[in-house]
Amino acid sequence: MLGEFEYVLITAAAALGDNAYGAAIREEIEATTRRRCSMGALYTTIDRLETKGLLKTWMGDSTPQRGGRAKRMVRVTSKGVHAAKEFYDAVMRVSRGVSWAENQTGSSS
Amino acid sequence: MTAVAWPLVELASRLLEPDEREAVLGDLLEAEETAWQALLDIFGLVLRRQAFLWKSPQPWFAGFSVALPCTYLLMHVSVSVTATYERLFHHRVSTRWPTGQEGFVLLFCHFFLLMAWSWAGGYVVGSASRRTLWVSIALSSLACAFCLVTFRFEPLSRFCSFLFLLPAILGVRHGVRQARFSFACASLLAVTVTLLMIFAWAHQALWVLNWVLALPAWYLVAAAWRSRQEGRTGPSWPFSPAPLPSPVSVRKKH
Repeated sequence: MLGEFEYVLITAAAALGDNAYGAAIREEIEATTRRRCSMGALYTTIDRLETKGLLKTWMGDSTPQRGGRAKRMVRVTSKGVHAAKEFYDAVMRVSRGVSWAENQTGSSS
Repeated sequence: MTAVAWPLVELASRLLEPDEREAVLGDLLEAEETAWQALLDIFGLVLRRQAFLWKSPQPWFAGFSVALPCTYLLMHVSVSVTATYERLFHHRVSTRWPTGQEGFVLLFCHFFLLMAWSWAGGYVVGSASRRTLWVSIALSSLACAFCLVTFRFEPLSRFCSFLFLLPAILGVRHGVRQARFSFACASLLAVTVTLLMIFAWAHQALWVLNWVLALPAWYLVAAAWRSRQEGRTGPSWPFSPAPLPSPVSVRKKH
C-alpha cells in the first residue's frame, strides 16, 4: 500500500495531467496540503514510485522561464492509478463514522 | 535569486546526476526560490540520495570490510617487499622489517601477490561502492595515515609503503567501469593467488592476517560465476539479487 506522501504525489501528478513535472507537482502539493514540500522529498519519492512502476518519467522540453533547463515530466501509470484508488478506498473505509469525516460524507445525523 | 548566489547553487548541484541537476535547477529557477532555500533544497536532495545508498550493504562492505583492512595490510606487505628487495639487491638489512630467509623466488612470489591483492581489492571496492567511492577512499586514507604515523620505516623510505597504490587505483578504475572478465580468468587469478600464498605460508613467509587479502580474488570468482549464471559477462554484486542502487535514469523522450 502507498504511503501518505506517495499518494499525495500521485494525486497531484494525476490532477496536472500532461503538465505534471517537478516544479508543478511541488506547487500543487504545497497548495493543497499547505505544507512545504522539499525538493529532496519530491525527487526521491518520484524515483521510488518509478521503480515500483507507479510513475513514468522522462526529460521534457526546456522553457526560458527555467533558464533553458529541461523539465522532468511525470505520468501516472495504470498501476499507479490502481494503487492510488486502493489507498483512497482504504482511507474512505477507515474514516466511516468518525466525527471529522461526517460533514464530508454527508452522513451526519 | 541573486547573480552572486546562483553560481554557488550551480556548484552544489554538481553533486547530483546530470539529468537530475538539469531538472532541479530548472525547478528552482521557476519557483524563484531564494539562494539560501535553493542551497538547502539541493543539499537536502544530495543527503537523501547518499542516505539511500547506505541502506544497501555494498558501501559498508566496500569501505569497512575491504578498503580499510586491506589498505593497512597492503601497506605492511609493501614495506616488507621493499625490505626484502633491499636485503637481496643492496645487502641492506632492516632490523625493524626482518625478512627472514626469503630469497629471490619468495620475493617474486610476494611481489606478484602484492600486485594481485591490490588490484583485486581495488576492483571490489570500485565495483561495490561506485557511488560511495569517496567514503572508501577516505577510509583508505585513514588507514594510510595510521600506518605512516605508527610504522617505523628507517632505513627505508616512507614511499615504499605505497607500492600497492598503482595496481589498487587501476583495480578501482576497472571496478567502477565494471570491466568485464570471464569466470575462467577470475578463477585462474584466485587459484594462482591461493597457491602462491600456500607456497609462501609453507616457507613461513606469510603473516596469518594476509589470508584476508585472498578474499577479494575469490569475490571476483563469485561475481563472475553469478554473471555467468545470469547469462551476462559483466561482473556484479554476487550476494544480492539487485544490482547497485542508483537513481532512476531519465532520458529524453523520443
